[in-house]
Amino acid sequence: MSKRYDAVLVGAGHNGLVCAAYLARTGLSVLVVERREVVGGAAATEELFPGFRFDSCAHRLGHLDPRVVSDLGLGGHGLKVRRPDLAVLAALPGGDHLAIWRDPQKTAEEIRRHSPDDAARWSRFGAAMAPAVRFRGHVAVATPPELPPAASRDLLAFMELGLRLRRTGRREMTEIMRVLPMSADELLDEWFESEPLQGLLAALGVSGLFLGPRAAGTAYLLLGGLSPDAEVLRPTELVTGGMGRFTEALAGAALANGARIRTGVEIERIRTAEGRVTGVVLSNGEEIDAARVVSNADPKRTFLGLVDPTELDPDFVRKVKNIRTRGAFAKVHLALAELPRFDGATGRPELLEGLIRICPSLDYLEHAYDDAKYGGVSRSPYLEAVIPSLTDPTLAPPGQHAMSVYVQYAPYELKEGSWDADRREALGDRVVGTLSEYAPGLDGAILDRHVSTPADLEDVYGLTGGCASHGEMALDQLFFMRPVPECAQYRTPIRDLYLCGAGTHPGGGVSGTAGYNAAREVLRAGKRAK
Amino acid sequence: MKRRDYDAVIVGGGHNGLVNAAYLARAGLDVLVLERRPVLGGAAVTEEVYPGFQYCVCSYVVSLLRPEIIQDLELARHGLEILPLESTFTPLPNGDYLVRWADHDQTRRELYRHSPRDAEAYDEFGKLMLQLAMAVKPILGMAPPDPGSMRPGNLAKMARLGRHFRDLGSEKLAALVKLMTMSSADYLDEWFETEGLKATMAASGIIGTFLGPRSPGTAYVLLHHYMGEIDGAFRAWGFARGGTGAVSEAIASAARSLGAEIRTEASVERILNEGGRAVGVALESGEEIRARLVVSGLDPKRTFLGLLEPDELPSEFVDSIRHFRIRGSSGKVNLALAELPDFTALPGVGPHLRGAMSISPSVEYLERAYDDAKYGEFSRRPYMDIILPSMIDPSMAPPGKHVMSIFVQYAPYALNGGWDDERREAFGDTVIDTLCQYAPNVRDAIIHRQVVTPADMEETFGLTEGNIFHGELSLHQLFFLRPAPAWANYRTPLANLYQCGSGTHPGGGVCGAPGRLAAQQILKEHRP
Repeated sequence: MSKRYDAVLVGAGHNGLVCAAYLARTGLSVLVVERREVVGGAAATEELFPGFRFDSCAHRLGHLDPRVVSDLGLGGHGLKVRRPDLAVLAALPGGDHLAIWRDPQKTAEEIRRHSPDDAARWSRFGAAMAPAVRFRGHVAVATPPELPPAASRDLLAFMELGLRLRRTGRREMTEIMRVLPMSADELLDEWFESEPLQGLLAALGVSGLFLGPRAAGTAYLLLGGLSPDAEVLRPTELVTGGMGRFTEALAGAALANGARIRTGVEIERIRTAEGRVTGVVLSNGEEIDAARVVSNADPKRTFLGLVDPTELDPDFVRKVKNIRTRGAFAKVHLALAELPRFDGATGRPELLEGLIRICPSLDYLEHAYDDAKYGGVSRSPYLEAVIPSLTDPTLAPPGQHAMSVYVQYAPYELKEGSWDADRREALGDRVVGTLSEYAPGLDGAILDRHVSTPADLEDVYGLTGGCASHGEMALDQLFFMRPVPECAQYRTPIRDLYLCGAGTHPGGGVSGTAGYNAAREVLRAGKRAK
Repeated sequence: MKRRDYDAVIVGGGHNGLVNAAYLARAGLDVLVLERRPVLGGAAVTEEVYPGFQYCVCSYVVSLLRPEIIQDLELARHGLEILPLESTFTPLPNGDYLVRWADHDQTRRELYRHSPRDAEAYDEFGKLMLQLAMAVKPILGMAPPDPGSMRPGNLAKMARLGRHFRDLGSEKLAALVKLMTMSSADYLDEWFETEGLKATMAASGIIGTFLGPRSPGTAYVLLHHYMGEIDGAFRAWGFARGGTGAVSEAIASAARSLGAEIRTEASVERILNEGGRAVGVALESGEEIRARLVVSGLDPKRTFLGLLEPDELPSEFVDSIRHFRIRGSSGKVNLALAELPDFTALPGVGPHLRGAMSISPSVEYLERAYDDAKYGEFSRRPYMDIILPSMIDPSMAPPGKHVMSIFVQYAPYALNGGWDDERREAFGDTVIDTLCQYAPNVRDAIIHRQVVTPADMEETFGLTEGNIFHGELSLHQLFFLRPAPAWANYRTPLANLYQCGSGTHPGGGVCGAPGRLAAQQILKEHRP
């Protein structure tokens, strides 16, 4: 007879691993089951061509939860986070560029070339947004209260949030409430006039979203890219050795705490009886008993794919189906014979150590979205590239480089046809073409190319609709609405089934906060049961 | 002769200014209304622009005129008669059409023809929207609290609001959150599949905004269509006999009978400020009129940036007003017609000509119309909301002839290169060309055409940037943020200066609510 686990985790994505490590740490017997041969889900580093290793999906951390790093001792498990001095290099048409440094003074000098007024406003912008950024950060680590507050605990949570908001100061409070539902366009228009700066910042507001920078709520996402202190922009956080090192460190921590991880086997079904979880059934027919199941899969896969539909209320199923998971991005990986020659950055490799962004104006971004909303790939997409081999030579053969490019917008649903080999290559060509406008001669340096379309991202990483955040980070899908009100506290209508992925609050990005919050709720429920 | 001092002088004889005046007069205040133009009503006017034809130049439907205002001011006695607009007719690109009738069963049959699923969903949708309309009604009917204030009265109001939301229950609350934050296209996608139906409903979410149907925040305007139903008096959309100007005239008549004095062609140049206190106004003519309090029905930009100097107000407040988004996005084309339009999709004279006719064949059509405007052009194929006032009220045109009112979106105020006579006519041509795709006979039936661009609206009606709502109804410009944080309760940083226009809560449309709520706030503080 097989062992009965206290908790089985569906999927070894970074949130699943975080949750598993925390649960194991309290002495629970934990099993993580991962469909792929590698752990990490969308935060993995893979050798796509011999000698070249790439961050295959996510290529940077998104406010990595510091509690996770220290609680789980990730440093001891090999995690090294690099925060390059240069956070973002925006490549501009005509050979110019705009560099955002960690040092706000240095950044202001750089902005001055584009607009002296904007340079003067840079630090003021950071200071003005800081209370909202801090509040947003506080909200992220809290479990969303039930709406309307049913239990006194929820009411308290609400009042606590209200009080915290009130304590930011009268003016700050109303400003936070005003800014959160704004569009990136509206917010940036109040502050800056320089198109390159507006474009660079607006990109933060739409990252992963099937919406343009004029959409309400994009200011909220934009704030997520800002720093609560003087740096204005949050430092770019890259993992030395690639994103895979992060999830390997998490797996290491989970294992060290006693969790078991099985890869290459898929959970086919979450077994239930009388509205509660009893275990899981694997694709090989094996059944595993479990006191609870925590799903790191997105809510649609979890409820529409893994759970017996008769266990769920039709209204609930309808709500889950209505979660918008419209993929908006693709990835292109390039094996390069030499470092790309970005205009104005040739011979200055230090300018390429952070993020390289191509989004020269807000209208550029909006045009890119226009193409996508009618079902086409952006003719001039917004691109964000990293070249990790620049600082970690193990990722590519000597003198050569591995570059990963995030591409938006590439809609999952095309107006005409579907994603096939031809369209995949056309997408790759378009990305290389766009990059070559800023880094002439890039084409000739490409040794190999790997393109992941939104359909590929769904197939490989199990992201429904190719949506990296397991559900769009739009206003109506945040906080106590995320992923649906019934599951906003990480619990589900099925007893002992929990969610811990990006589909839950606070959403997408490689931060581990959803996994952390979910573990807290699982343990809290466990305590109550005792 | 010694000029007497008034209790209140109201700047602008738009419908909200008049409502405000009437309520103040009713409470016994000595009130004077000052209107720049020779006619009253602001953007709610009927004018004989072409002999024999009465045009609703700007506003053309009475969407949400509050029943309590009609009752309190006895507007029926003052000549107001509201005739229902019974249907919405949408000609479709495939030669078919879709109509929603006043009669529920008839609408159901019509929808069933397009999609049985949508016909079923329509009832469910209607029920939910009605419940949600009831949920927001008290909010639309209250002066917004200031969440930053710790005053006991204010805290009590916040607590009441909290209880109200709590009592809604989780399902309705979640539905309300979705409605407030989603795009109308996404919201309707959850319910319906018929393109023409989704588009026509979504269109009501974009009117007066500089947003497309896929822009988050457009869904909640869908609610307004259901507000009329809970009031019971008439359906959401109505037409005043004599045109929208008749609404203004009825309110003006009520105000006068309650003792208010109204002067036209009296343009206010600035608000008199003595030691941080409004004490009256100065007219362009040089005349000064003193009053205990001043109420502005103008939009926030005109009031605070036009009638006052920046140094008379806190700089933070001035910044807020400068940031207040007020981009005009619509135009108006009014036609005198020798004959009725003959729609290819539904030929002949029929009841569909007595309702609204909507050129909104698909959500993508509307979204593309928005795309043009985003980049500074008027829509090559615009969204149009059309009515034939003379079909509802024959006195609007000579016998056998007709007037047509066409609301057109998008026409950006900030047109590339700016608006001039040539662009105005080009815009008019685009509208006629678009309309003639559906009703080809209109081109030759035109006796006279009036094209009103956003620049014209600014110039003629004093609407900053031609914005018909005195400020966009976007999420961050609603309720306690309208028009500026901490100043949503109709008061202003200048003592004894109040605002009562559409730039305040609950916003635009011929509803009169801002005028009434402002009067309530004023009377709380200035009992005669």
